[in-house]
Amino acid sequence: MSRSSIIVLVFSAAFAVAVLLSARRRRTSEHHTFSWLLVSLLTAGLALWRNAIDTLAAAMGIYYAPSALFFVVCGGLVWMLFRLSLQVAEQRRQLQRLAQELAVLSAERPPPGDRASAPAPGSAG
Amino acid sequence: MGAGTLIVLLAYNEEACIADVVTELRRELPDVDVAVVDDGSRDETSERAREGGARVVRHPINLGVAAAEATGLLYALRHGYSRVVRMDGDGQHDPHSVPALLKALEGGAELVVGSRFAGVESFRSTWLRRFGSGLISRLLSSLCRQRITDPTSGFRGFGPRAIRYFSTHFPHDYPEPESVLMASRQRFPIVEVPVKMRSRRAGVSSLTPWRSTFYMAKVSFALFMERFRAV
Repeated sequence: MSRSSIIVLVFSAAFAVAVLLSARRRRTSEHHTFSWLLVSLLTAGLALWRNAIDTLAAAMGIYYAPSALFFVVCGGLVWMLFRLSLQVAEQRRQLQRLAQELAVLSAERPPPGDRASAPAPGSAG
Repeated sequence: MGAGTLIVLLAYNEEACIADVVTELRRELPDVDVAVVDDGSRDETSERAREGGARVVRHPINLGVAAAEATGLLYALRHGYSRVVRMDGDGQHDPHSVPALLKALEGGAELVVGSRFAGVESFRSTWLRRFGSGLISRLLSSLCRQRITDPTSGFRGFGPRAIRYFSTHFPHDYPEPESVLMASRQRFPIVEVPVKMRSRRAGVSSLTPWRSTFYMAKVSFALFMERFRAV
């Protein structure tokens, strides 16, 4: 096994351990833990099967094999960022809704000193 | 007008004038309830609004004007109001124009846009803002297939269907023009009425020429996106 393969394998193992430790401390969700473990497995797979990149490049019609790897990694990252941006938008929407509900509920219970001065909802004036 | 009508004032760091605005509204329109949506102000806006006699709905964090408007409508929905007039908390919107908006709502309109450019002499904004507003007006009018002269007016009235719809489907970034297009796509009757606007009582506008230019570009994009979204 070449030195570069060993380095990549060590990196994959360290990354997998970091992901598992984060999961153990409940800092990541199961869904994300699975995805990241899959990334470390793929990286380890590429280190063990050295011809995988050449096979991939040939299948994609790319003459310079590292370019195929570069494309696949970039594509994966773009997809991941897109998924994360969808999640951020959804969480932003949920956060806004939560804050609005909280605001409407808190309007029912203004500070004690102000209850006499403000009219009750629905009562004119 | 009367019971069933709520005026929603949107305010963010308006402690200097919000009490005066609320007091003036309660004096000029004694039959109408007033609620202030404080969009997470870092000053005494909520306290001043309560002193003026308004109900206060306070966001725990700053969510932006679109969410603040939706919160006002959500509050109205939860308390059974059938008509809402949205105004700015800086005193730019003249309370004397409110009856005209309410009359249009009583006539069956679901969204009433108070327009500065429909015949009443008002405070004139900068030429750049007027130019930008004109461009957005043409774009919005063509998308709605209805003439909208003042797409960026925040002085608006909502009927019962619009209250229900916009309390849950609020626009993403630019509530004024986007909501007109959303209302049009929901086939809500939209009416424009001439209103008077004044210069703000305190504070300064955050719009600079550069920001106005970006605003125009972003609003145009937002309108195309809104047209693209599923109804």
